[in-house]
Amino acid sequence: MAKKRKIIAAGVLLVSVHLAILLAGFVAPADPAAQNREFPFAPPTRLHFVDSRGHLHLRPFIYQWTTRPDSFNEYQESQEREFPVQFFVSGVAYRIAGIFACHTHLFGVEAPAQIFLAGTDNYGRDQFSRILDGGQISVAAGILATLISLVLGSLVGCIAGFYGKWIDESAMRFAELFLVLPWLYLLFAVRAFLPLHISPTQAFLLLIGIIGTIGWARPARLIRGIVLSARKQNYVAASRGFGASDAYIIRRHILPHTYGLLLTQAALLVPQYILAEVTLSFFGLGLSEPKPSWGNLLANLQQYNVLISYWWMSLPALALIVVSLGYLSVANAFHERLQSVSI
Amino acid sequence: MRYFGRRLVHAGLLLVGVSVLCFLLSDLAPGNFFDEMKLNPQVSSETIVALRAQYGLDQALPVRYIRWVKSVVRGEFGYSFAYNTSVSSLLGLRARNTLLLTALATMLAWLIAVPFGVWIASRPGSWTDRLSMGGTSLFLSVPELVIVFALLWLAIRTHALPVGGMVSTGFDRSGPWEKLWDLATHLVIPVTALVLASLPILVRHVRASMIEVLKTPFIEAARAHGISRARLLFRYALPAAANPLISLFGLSVGGLLSGSLLVEVVTGWPGLGPLLLESSMSRDLYVVVGVVMSSTVFMIFGNLLADAMLFIVDPRVRVE
Amino acid sequence: MHRLGCLVTLLLVSGLLCYAASPPQPPQRGEEVQITDNEIGRYGGSLVVAQRSEPKTLNPVTAADAPSREVIGRLTADLIHINRASQQTEPALAKSWTLSKDGRVFTVKLRHGLRFSDGQPFDADDVLFSFKLYLDEKIHSPQRDLLVVGGKPIEVQKIDPYTVRFTLAQPYAAAERIFDGLAMMPRHLLEKPYKEDKFASAWILTTPSAEIAGMGPFRMKDYVPGQKIVLERNPYYWKADRSKNRLPYLDELVFLFVGNEDAQALRFQAGDTDIISRISAENYALLSKDSASRGTEFFDLGPSLEYNFLVFNLNDLSSKNLGKIAAKQAWFQDLKFRLAVSAAIDRAGIVKLVYGGRAVPLWGNVSPSNKFWVDLSLPHPPRSLDKARELLKSAGFSWRGDGRLVDRQGQPVEFSIIASASNAQRSKMATIIQDDLSQLGMDIHVVPMDFRAVVDRVFQTYDYEASIMGLGGGDADPNPEMNVWLSNGGTHLWHLGESKPATDWEAQIDQLMQKQMVQLKYKERKHLYDQVQEIVAANVPYVFLATPNILVGAKKKLADFKPAILDPNTLWNVEQLYFLPGSGASPRATP
Repeated sequence: MAKKRKIIAAGVLLVSVHLAILLAGFVAPADPAAQNREFPFAPPTRLHFVDSRGHLHLRPFIYQWTTRPDSFNEYQESQEREFPVQFFVSGVAYRIAGIFACHTHLFGVEAPAQIFLAGTDNYGRDQFSRILDGGQISVAAGILATLISLVLGSLVGCIAGFYGKWIDESAMRFAELFLVLPWLYLLFAVRAFLPLHISPTQAFLLLIGIIGTIGWARPARLIRGIVLSARKQNYVAASRGFGASDAYIIRRHILPHTYGLLLTQAALLVPQYILAEVTLSFFGLGLSEPKPSWGNLLANLQQYNVLISYWWMSLPALALIVVSLGYLSVANAFHERLQSVSI
Repeated sequence: MRYFGRRLVHAGLLLVGVSVLCFLLSDLAPGNFFDEMKLNPQVSSETIVALRAQYGLDQALPVRYIRWVKSVVRGEFGYSFAYNTSVSSLLGLRARNTLLLTALATMLAWLIAVPFGVWIASRPGSWTDRLSMGGTSLFLSVPELVIVFALLWLAIRTHALPVGGMVSTGFDRSGPWEKLWDLATHLVIPVTALVLASLPILVRHVRASMIEVLKTPFIEAARAHGISRARLLFRYALPAAANPLISLFGLSVGGLLSGSLLVEVVTGWPGLGPLLLESSMSRDLYVVVGVVMSSTVFMIFGNLLADAMLFIVDPRVRVE
Repeated sequence: MHRLGCLVTLLLVSGLLCYAASPPQPPQRGEEVQITDNEIGRYGGSLVVAQRSEPKTLNPVTAADAPSREVIGRLTADLIHINRASQQTEPALAKSWTLSKDGRVFTVKLRHGLRFSDGQPFDADDVLFSFKLYLDEKIHSPQRDLLVVGGKPIEVQKIDPYTVRFTLAQPYAAAERIFDGLAMMPRHLLEKPYKEDKFASAWILTTPSAEIAGMGPFRMKDYVPGQKIVLERNPYYWKADRSKNRLPYLDELVFLFVGNEDAQALRFQAGDTDIISRISAENYALLSKDSASRGTEFFDLGPSLEYNFLVFNLNDLSSKNLGKIAAKQAWFQDLKFRLAVSAAIDRAGIVKLVYGGRAVPLWGNVSPSNKFWVDLSLPHPPRSLDKARELLKSAGFSWRGDGRLVDRQGQPVEFSIIASASNAQRSKMATIIQDDLSQLGMDIHVVPMDFRAVVDRVFQTYDYEASIMGLGGGDADPNPEMNVWLSNGGTHLWHLGESKPATDWEAQIDQLMQKQMVQLKYKERKHLYDQVQEIVAANVPYVFLATPNILVGAKKKLADFKPAILDPNTLWNVEQLYFLPGSGASPRATP
């Protein structure tokens, strides 16, 4: 029962994180690309319930940041006016899933104050909004790349396992080639030669394509194994006896065996591929400005002064950990349902 | 023996395939090494065109590939334009540095994972087991990148360890003990990062494998015979559980040259990782191909090693 | 017997130790040393400096990259040297020179009695040999182009063992400045490899130290690949201070390879290195915070000579298959469009966010720190989005309902800016510009690319729309910039490969630059160059952005540290640097 509770908890966490990411425009109070040049590297806004005069407020409020008079990037709270946090405010326009235009944001404060729940970056952009928006890219990249890997892998694995002999041999040798190459190194080499056609959407899709294509080998092998054993079953022979075509047999009798494996693989691959995108973006080979991705958000940490002085810039790591944790728990759950012991 | 012969031929073919792939890829990237000179207004375009011809970048692809293969046979692995020396001399030193790091980390990881995995497998469901599973889950979700940064941050904050590089400035002047100590303090952060990154999955595999074996009848029989627990675990159960672990070990050995790119680049360890990054940025073709090739060779070697060990250890493999 | 052996060994060892650590011999009779006017220092110590990437070679004739040149500069010496502090030329290996009336013949008198770092004598034959190397077309030295004046290479003639005559095809204004950085090479070591056609592989990093000799303050001692290069004092160096102490004071100079700027900062903070050069503003702020406790001091030298700019692709694309870019050139070629972009860019924001306030905005190609050549009368218009909009309107652009800017044909204005990914500042500038121009309704894509890829596109394939680049910084004199401003120059980035000037104003610039090159009087040259600056500022082929300040730091115990704006900012006077007493001049073995 404890196990079941854990899985439910993980599942709920995962779903809520994905929902928050999908509705990034709504949950985030600001436009991820909006620069506030007077507030570079501002720390996270503090939420207060008790004001400077000692009164308790039921609704949390914030004070605005102002630059300290003697320096140019150190901040202090300006206690002049309290800005209560309001919910379902009207703010900057955004699109849900790129289709539905909307104005309402989950929370916000009255102008001219701004609420930076996770601080700001070099250009004064709200990190909280950027983490959510970046999540869209990183998580979507992971999911789409996984789809590609699994589709390719299933295709090759099915054909190899079903037809056997030299098709199987050559397919598996080819798979070995990909398995033996160090994937990160290969990623670098491939990324370097891409024509870099300027459109960011194209770059993003290409990236997903590369990551997904490089990873087809392992699922292919696993699926092939299942197909091989399923092929030997009696009902397949019987089906053939009845004149069923190859496609029918594969679709009806063989594929269902692979679903369990596919689910487990998916839950394992998604966090891996999210990490692949993060790594590429970290080295500057992924998304370009001003589009955020967890990778290029984390790349800021490579600067010594950011790592030391601006702790809030490491928050994307937290998001990454939470998502990976969620997926891994789910993968464990699937695996346990298929086999007796979890890896 | 035929088994090995086949595996070797197989490995050779893989190598050739990989080399062609790498060569093709590195060739298609735009830009070349002499571009840096172009930005110096004092250099004319004719000089640069002539230099490109001199280094053979104008020849056709198959010709360049053949030149490279000949160089490999001579033991040279091609020529680095940037460093003006053969690729093998570059690779040798960097590979040695990387191996120092990864061999140490891999050894440590396995030395910790196996006993620990066996131990918690022997008491499944206990609080230590649950704690370890939880802990490994957590660490599995923390990307290597984050681990390295966390360690770096700790080091900088506490001023306890040197940050970055392999040795300090006065290295040559120190005595042998000081040298060892210096190297050791520089190794702490990268090795810890690598171990923390690989430990969770190893522990889990050992545990899973052991639990499977511990359920089998022959272990029950052995237990019934009164064999002591430690002996049971390590001399009866572990060898039976070794099969998947050996494949994993092969993968570990195979990944010795390629698994540490991130850690090396972020901590400034002078290994293959930074070399690959720098040479792929500067289009130093032969170095890129050399690095990818050498790490693939290791991977193939690792697989061969695993196959060999399996052959020796598991009689079931011999029968096939 | 055993005792005797011990004694002998002890004597030998102590002898060797004495030899290794002893200060150099004072100048001999007949040796025409240069007496320098610096503060008298003390001998000893090892200076450790970090480099961001490893040098590729030690060959002065073929070296192209900055780290190699930094090391080579300490191993070699030139005939006439530009003093980095005063930016004026001064005698080096040449003790005096005369220029003929027509400005074409240069006669140089060498110092007598000088020797290379391996003890061999230096004379005019070495000078002749060196110039042969630089001018040899087979060797393809990057510095060869400097020696081709008026289309013909410089002619070198030996008059006597200590006099050399150089003949130029046409009078050249800054003739004496050509010699700076041209290292004099030892004929006794390199003539053989040169005759055997093996010069390109001479003096690579792994060459044994005994085969490398130069006239610089240091000589090669050791190279550890991937880690460091160690140089030791040149016992025959031809400079001495007023008290006849032969320079340099330092025993050793060590170059450590640290990979990137942040690693450099970390090492400096840990005390591993003694000097840090060209740091970013953030690291500067961070490091100077605890400088008192760590015994370091930092200097902001003011703006450098480098200029960063946004360039639009105005190349002739008719022979290339770049239709989409060619269509956009209609916008780029409109002067009002470029002026509007220039008016909309928040240069103050760039100075603040990219350089932490330690930079100076630019509206022209000459940095304000170039006191001799900057045109102070150029206007510096403040940022104005209104003005930008007016300009765009008058050029036929208009705004759609959704705020996007469209041209006369209704096409929305969008383009991409490529910048080097490894240069954090340029990428940041691109991001700020993107935001600025989006307020005019333009849609900009920022594409950080590998440096080589950027150069490939800008110089060769012309497959780009706009780019952020930086030039300059080498010398204050306008002549090295000829290639940038002449319409057929190799770095005439906005429109390369022009067989004749594409516009009237480019033709004007051509004429003015040619005139100033042969004009020998400073005032007239300045007047001509001022006009060039005004034409450039009015026609905006480059939208100038900013020039960073030079930020350096050093340990307080390093005396006579005088950082300069010209390259190499911190090591140009390395022979005069020394460590103050009582500060433990030797490096620490472990941090």
